Amino acid sequence: MLEIAVGHSNDPDSLEAIAEVLQQCKNKLGDKIPQAGILFAAVDFDRELILQEIDRAFPDIELIGCTTDGELSSVLEFQQDSIALTVFYGEGIEIRAAVGRNISQDPEAIAQATAATAKQQFNLPIKLAIVLPESLTTSTVSILRGLEAGLGDNIPLFGGAAAEQREMQRTYQFYQTEVLSDAVPILLFAGDIHFSHGIAGGWHPIGKRSQITKVDRNIIYEIDGKPALDFYHHYLNDYKPDSAYPLAVFPPGEERFFLRGALSYDLEEGSVKVSGDVPEHSIVQITDTTLEDVVNASAASFAEAWKNYGGEEPKAALCFSCAWRRWVMGTRANEEYRALIPALQDKIAACGFYTYGEVAPLQDNGQTFFHNTTFVTLLIGN
Amino acid sequence: MADEDKAAEIKDLQKQIRILQKKLERSETDRARLEVTNRNKESLLKGVICELEASQAVLEKKNLDVERAFNDLTLMQDKLVEAEKMAALGGLVAGVAHEINTPVGTCITVASTLMIETESLLAAVAANRLKRSLLDGYLEVAKESTDLLLRNLERAGELIQSFKQVAVDQSSLEKRTFALKPYLEELVVSLSPQLKKGSHQVTIAGDETIEMHSYPGAIAQVVTNLITNSLLHAYKNGEKGHLELRATKRDDRILLIYRDDGGGIERDNLKRVFDPFFTTARDRGGTGLGLHITYNLVTQKLQGKISLTSEVGKGTEFTIELPDRINS
Repeated sequence: MLEIAVGHSNDPDSLEAIAEVLQQCKNKLGDKIPQAGILFAAVDFDRELILQEIDRAFPDIELIGCTTDGELSSVLEFQQDSIALTVFYGEGIEIRAAVGRNISQDPEAIAQATAATAKQQFNLPIKLAIVLPESLTTSTVSILRGLEAGLGDNIPLFGGAAAEQREMQRTYQFYQTEVLSDAVPILLFAGDIHFSHGIAGGWHPIGKRSQITKVDRNIIYEIDGKPALDFYHHYLNDYKPDSAYPLAVFPPGEERFFLRGALSYDLEEGSVKVSGDVPEHSIVQITDTTLEDVVNASAASFAEAWKNYGGEEPKAALCFSCAWRRWVMGTRANEEYRALIPALQDKIAACGFYTYGEVAPLQDNGQTFFHNTTFVTLLIGN
Repeated sequence: MADEDKAAEIKDLQKQIRILQKKLERSETDRARLEVTNRNKESLLKGVICELEASQAVLEKKNLDVERAFNDLTLMQDKLVEAEKMAALGGLVAGVAHEINTPVGTCITVASTLMIETESLLAAVAANRLKRSLLDGYLEVAKESTDLLLRNLERAGELIQSFKQVAVDQSSLEKRTFALKPYLEELVVSLSPQLKKGSHQVTIAGDETIEMHSYPGAIAQVVTNLITNSLLHAYKNGEKGHLELRATKRDDRILLIYRDDGGGIERDNLKRVFDPFFTTARDRGGTGLGLHITYNLVTQKLQGKISLTSEVGKGTEFTIELPDRINS
């Protein structure tokens, strides 16, 4: 039986906040010592201190985590400067953490080796993995390919890329008591658990269709034979791209699109570095959305996950929502979480964060993809 | 209040103050960010509107080009239709010339024989060698010859008369009052060279008394096209066809039914026979304009309706409904 507890505090004082969070978890679990945990923390906290406090309260806990662009939970709903901890306890369930370090040196190979090594420690067959990768230093798509290769057996990956408060400078990942950058922590679940997921977006292509004419992985150099920044200048009247208006990317021959937001740009080259690889000769369009479409996506994603849940009862909903969604929603950001409340029915705990890119298969048993501007719900339980 | 409670309250207030301070900082940066997002949204929408305007202008221009091309095509089509009419008239002239050639040729032969006979009679008279038997023989030849001359000249005259009527009507399309059945008979006579080629038989049936005030030339053209169409498509080489035209009148409407007993029209082609340039006989010189012209003449010039039914292997029937009087 899996039990899940969530603690959440918005006290800017790190020590006070983690004390509050740990107390909430203990209140829920009683004497049971959780096996594993996932920590989402806003960037301004004293990360080392928080990790040590968790370790002190729950020795031997398998912990991963990352910095965020906003946190949400069934305790405090949406918050911008808070820490949220989800802890897992279960008999007949194996949960282990692992981490790949200096991932940008060779993202695919390091991720593959990390996953392969972690897999060997398991006695039970692995069901799924939660992944909180670095997003600013390297190609997240390559990391995902490496993890998939290392785990094998089509094991689905869920999660979100570590974020900060849109400085686009440095994100942090947590592994046990370590605070890292350029790393990919993973949490692997094996044994008697059930899960399902749903994804939804809300962005629509607008404007004319253009073609990617020069691209190297996730750096777009030319669109329609002109510098990529000209494309943004045409629409935004500014050479600086805005990730609230991501590109809809239609890979060659595909009618469905995925979204790619700008991470950084180079004025001299006129190039844009986007949040994931873009296939050559893809058709691109700028996109737009409305607040309603963004807000409605969370409930749609939850409903899809609920529909596909094959177990008896989900214990928690882990939510991964894109930071750009929050930026667009502004003061209405909390509505995204509040749209889930009727479905949670006070029975299902929820915890999540605002990411720099979401990780989930497009459908059950499908290949894992790296998304942008989407809301991913992962239901997990018995 | 106990000191412990006070301490707890102070602690809680301190926490609230910390949270509020943080929220204030955050709302400042968020507000700035939202301003940028909104500014960009404005630009984006302006950009998209400009694109839409540009593509609208392009579409308008394209629309204009298409309209012009369409007008050019319509003009070209009219010219082709006119050319086709003239070609049909040309064919008619050639056919009629051939037909007249026969009686006129007979007349020349007979007249020559009569002339030779007359000369030998004159020679006999001059030499005072005229015998009764010679005179009798001459008179018999003269009677036969004049008979033949008269019949053949009448035939030629008849042909010229009908051709003149049809040709004039076809080229001028004047409106006048005429008797329908005799007019159709005249018309068929002028078409007889074409009909004779395949030894086809034409029956004209119906009410003798029907009079119309309409465009006989247009009717001639319609019937010519229907018959030509049957001859081109309905019969295989050597097949002898039976074509029938039947005219009846009910109140002020004339019903003209034309049918052949040929090969019929495939179901898929039935809807397209009136389309311009649709033909299954381009290799045999078909232009695909004959029935199109027929349709236009019936529905516009003659203010009527035309429809058809056909069964493969049995034949085709056209039903033409016309007003007996066109005033406008």
